[in-house]
Amino acid sequence: MAILIDKNSRVVVQGITGKAGRFHTKMMLECGTKVVAGVSPGKGGEVVGLVPVYDTVEEAVKEQGANVSVLFLPAAAVLEATIEAITAGVKLVVVVPEHIPLHDMLRIRKFAHQYGARVIGGNTAGVISPGEANVGIMPEMAFKKGIIGTVSRSGSMTYYVADTLTRSGLGESTCVGLGGDPVLGSTFAEILPLFEKDPETKGIVLVGEIGGIYEEQAASVIKQMTKPVVALIGGKYAPSGKRMGHAGAIIEGDMGTAESKIKALKSAGAYVVEKFSQIPEVFKNLLLF
Amino acid sequence: MRLYEFEGKALFVSAGIPCPEGKLCRNIEEVEPIIKEIGLPAVLKAQVLTGGRGKSGGIKVVTSLEEAKETVKNLFQLKIKGFLVNKILVEKKISISKELYLGVTIDRFLDQIVIIASNEGGVEIETIAKTAPEKIKKIYKHIDEEIFSYELIKLWKELGFSGKILVALAKIGVKLFGLFTKYDAKLMEINPLAITEEGEVLALDSRISLDEDAMFRQSELAKMQIEDRHEEGELTPREKEAKEAGIPYLDLDGNIGMFPGGAGFGIASIDLIKELGGKPANFMDSGGGPTPERIAKMINLLVENPAVDAIFGARFGGVSRCDEFAKGMVMFLRKTQKRKPMAIRMTGNMWKEGMEIFAKARQETPEIFEGIEIYGIETPIEDVAKRAIELAQEASKLRKS
Repeated sequence: MAILIDKNSRVVVQGITGKAGRFHTKMMLECGTKVVAGVSPGKGGEVVGLVPVYDTVEEAVKEQGANVSVLFLPAAAVLEATIEAITAGVKLVVVVPEHIPLHDMLRIRKFAHQYGARVIGGNTAGVISPGEANVGIMPEMAFKKGIIGTVSRSGSMTYYVADTLTRSGLGESTCVGLGGDPVLGSTFAEILPLFEKDPETKGIVLVGEIGGIYEEQAASVIKQMTKPVVALIGGKYAPSGKRMGHAGAIIEGDMGTAESKIKALKSAGAYVVEKFSQIPEVFKNLLLF
Repeated sequence: MRLYEFEGKALFVSAGIPCPEGKLCRNIEEVEPIIKEIGLPAVLKAQVLTGGRGKSGGIKVVTSLEEAKETVKNLFQLKIKGFLVNKILVEKKISISKELYLGVTIDRFLDQIVIIASNEGGVEIETIAKTAPEKIKKIYKHIDEEIFSYELIKLWKELGFSGKILVALAKIGVKLFGLFTKYDAKLMEINPLAITEEGEVLALDSRISLDEDAMFRQSELAKMQIEDRHEEGELTPREKEAKEAGIPYLDLDGNIGMFPGGAGFGIASIDLIKELGGKPANFMDSGGGPTPERIAKMINLLVENPAVDAIFGARFGGVSRCDEFAKGMVMFLRKTQKRKPMAIRMTGNMWKEGMEIFAKARQETPEIFEGIEIYGIETPIEDVAKRAIELAQEASKLRKS
């Protein structure tokens, strides 16, 4: 078991004929992901590697049974591409591009909610269930199948957590990159309950960073959970008012500070750690294995 | 992306939200004709992209031309929270009978647009929310949902208004909401929204923040010469250089050059170095699949910084591949004699290929690797960070002796 994606996931790549689309299609296939179709309007009938290209997502769903989509498209095209995928019946859309207009993200969230679909990103490294499927751009070699679920706002941090969990032997059930943009398709509060329900997942790592309210929002969900949540929050020493790389990573006034997030998570019962090496220590102390 | 007050007011006027008569003054020579046109008394308002202008002396009332000239001269020498004043909005002084608040923003918890109104204004809405929450009324709307004038009539009526003023306030609410949607805004505030002694309703200030990521579809703003701008006060020379090269970079006050790979780890690596007792010299987002040329440029920024004693580098190849990273590093090391001790860890996509590039270069030109330590997947990241701190301590001792 895993969450969101597994060995039965059939992936369609929207924007497969672009440079990033081609490269990452190859990478996803190499680690065993079932990339069954690509979409590139006007290029229907072509192939990328061995993957057939269609003009619409609807065709990819009908012909190849695609049920997960991943986007390698410019930010301006994301709204339309996401709506196309969802109306075609795709239940999970992974948005890799960054800097999606905020109002478009609100539209996407509203639309996905109406259709019962889930959107991950933008600016996400993707989702990986090690050994089953890898949708996005995460480096397979850092991950190992195991018992910890990870949910993170940062791609690079996700890799270090994976590195740490692999090294300690705990491994991961599924790792979900929420993305670095300010308004996200899915939030901590929406992903955590999926891990809580997943029998394979024994504990969860939450990787947050300064900016926004998603960590604070997660606190009320964590309170209800039976599985342990270890949290790592980036930006304790970040200067206020300065944007730190990710569009979402900015402290505005009292909002979005590491301090406020750590306080909310601690009071909800999460184990807040300072360093990667403490993550497996906490799980080991809880006698998880 | 924040707008200047005068830009925000131009948007207000374009939508039919009334503002005081005003003109923008860019130099001292313009004061006289502007004052003659607008009349006295006038308000001079420094145009800076930050709040708290009034407290910093950025807003002045003048009653004579001489006073206006003198004040403009002084304002042009003022620096408010790091922002130099180079534009002043000159407005007719308004006699205010009551100050209100009106704002539109995105409620991040609910993912909805929220219209916030208060019958108290001129102070931060957060302050009112704490001291007198009963004076605040809100309307929530989903994106693309319409707003109707009766909803705002109801809202302002609950706040105690009636008659002509009630209708004027409701109209302004509908118009502000329209602007918010049209221009992809994150925040639009009129604070204060004033009722004058003559019974008019006027927007006395504008605070607008637009979504920089939506500027591509806002060609009307470009026509009004409202374009993407830097918002964070003055940049240091190195920050300027980095910005020109498109590298997210901030100067900090330590001595360890940070070359971490990725924005998220860029933030967290600062915490890591601090927790381990070191002092980072900068923030840098060196991720996102940089070319070898770009990597050489990034590392050069750190090597040329005299405050940097040693460099902490990390690469976790995702989109950014390790072979590209190794190529960039070797390119930099071959091109220049400039050296700083470095501890670098590299793993992720194509890490073996990256290691081979380093091994080959080391064989050909061992001298270029002097003081440079490269670690692979077998060494935990925290050990490499500790090593960078040691290298910085040694270099700093050496420099001081």
